[in-house]
Amino acid sequence: MNAITITTAATPPSAWQRLGQARAFIALRSFALFAALWWLVFVWKANPLQLPSPLRVLDAVWSLLQSGELLEHAAISTTRLGLALVVAIVLAVPLGFAMGLNAKLDAYVDPLVELLRPISGIAWIPLGLFIFGIGDTLPVFIMVYVAFFPLLLNTVAGVRQVDRKLVAAARTMGVGPAAMLRHVIVPASLPTVMVGLRLAFAGAWAAIVAAELIGAPSGLGFAIEWNRQMLMTSKVFAFIMVIGFVGYLCDSLLRALQHWLTPWADGTGQA
Amino acid sequence: MSAAIKTSPMNHAATPDAIAAAPRPAAGPSRWAALGRMLALPALLVLLWQLWAQTLPADSPAPTPTKVVLAFAELVKSGDLPMALVQSLGRVLTGFAVALALAVLLGMLMGTSRALRDNLDPIIESFRPIAPMALLPIAILWFGTGTPTALAIVGYAAFFPLLVNTVHGVSRVDPKLVSVARTMGLSRARILLSVVLPGALPGILLGARLAMGVAWTAIIAAELAVGAKSGGGNSGGIGQMMFVFYAYSIDLNAIVVCMIAVGVVALLIDRVFRKLESRLMPWRT
Repeated sequence: MNAITITTAATPPSAWQRLGQARAFIALRSFALFAALWWLVFVWKANPLQLPSPLRVLDAVWSLLQSGELLEHAAISTTRLGLALVVAIVLAVPLGFAMGLNAKLDAYVDPLVELLRPISGIAWIPLGLFIFGIGDTLPVFIMVYVAFFPLLLNTVAGVRQVDRKLVAAARTMGVGPAAMLRHVIVPASLPTVMVGLRLAFAGAWAAIVAAELIGAPSGLGFAIEWNRQMLMTSKVFAFIMVIGFVGYLCDSLLRALQHWLTPWADGTGQA
Repeated sequence: MSAAIKTSPMNHAATPDAIAAAPRPAAGPSRWAALGRMLALPALLVLLWQLWAQTLPADSPAPTPTKVVLAFAELVKSGDLPMALVQSLGRVLTGFAVALALAVLLGMLMGTSRALRDNLDPIIESFRPIAPMALLPIAILWFGTGTPTALAIVGYAAFFPLLVNTVHGVSRVDPKLVSVARTMGLSRARILLSVVLPGALPGILLGARLAMGVAWTAIIAAELAVGAKSGGGNSGGIGQMMFVFYAYSIDLNAIVVCMIAVGVVALLIDRVFRKLESRLMPWRT
């Protein structure tokens, strides 16, 4: 990220200026400014049903935390998310390896994938509602569907872009197919698979809100809609903040996993 | 269907253009073989689906390929499907246009001003993980259950891919070009317009393609949820149509028609934007 700055400062920074340039300070200042703007709009509109004050929202977060409601819904949603990601990985990654290694299989399966991929997971919700009814299965099904395609496509791409010289060198040294897969192809394609996992998570997390909002009796998506109907707007805002926070947290976890599994590929695929 | 294409040698003998491609004699047969491989699995699945449907009782609501085709013909003839698609697409394009104008402007400013970027990044990064659908309840509270709500959701969904890719595109502009422009005494606005904007175009167009895809998904979700939560449909659009088919007329065949239509439109949007990319930037590819 080499930034192009049109204006440049030449004088060395003083202590105050250095404080002003600290990242945490800048972030805090931005949030404070944002909250102040929010509060001004709140005072101007003076309709707490449409826009509660920032303090009321913090209050709602606190009371939801104390009653356990917040953790309960967050736990339900993240459990569904985890389950869906595991299922999607189990389905997509082996298939992706098979398709990446076998051109014939790829020629048969890829057209089907390309036919289904444009149909967004959201569009499956009405049919899914009919098949599975309202409950746990629908959100998980939608998320598995959404997570499947980025995982599959990234796995195939990752396997394909394994350096042929590495494969040839291993073969020259008499490495068998199983060891080749384990020691050459899997490590070499893992960075791309991890990028696929992060994309899959991002898609699934966006889809779960829609799926729970329409077709589940629990979870974060359900909670925001339920509180809207109860006209408890401050709780709606609180749950929206939680959705953003949990999404950020999960992505950080995946980033950490990515760093831990493939430390040699840091900085690739900033999704 | 696939079997017919794969096994009949007549097919490629009968097409003059396959023979006309003389320099590459292998092109003809292998093209048909590729087509056969392409259609094999989808055709097999449709066949299995139809066979499974034969075992169902006649009054079963389960969708079958033949009934889906019939439902498609009916929905096109009555004009419902084209109307709903046009309505949804109109909303997506309006929301997208607003997001494009805002995000490119802000992205250019953030890309060229370090101070602005540092100050806005925390806010942007905290909104980014909030799914567009999470804001739907708020949008309903603010704008009601009609088109403005759909526009707000679409605009929000399209904004972030556009902004992030514009900022990234600006950061990839060659700093030497900017220095040269400054040496020649161009004003800041002029540099933004004639140096930074064209340089950032690849990023902006990539962002536009991603944003359009996200926006199309978001409109379906928004229309579906508005239909589900406000008890049915008067604001229209393809998503709402699907919900009406689900909740009122229980017509699963029509739902499948809508799903396919959603997929086809998504595919077309993607193609159009890829075409636009190669048209506007012929130096790439």
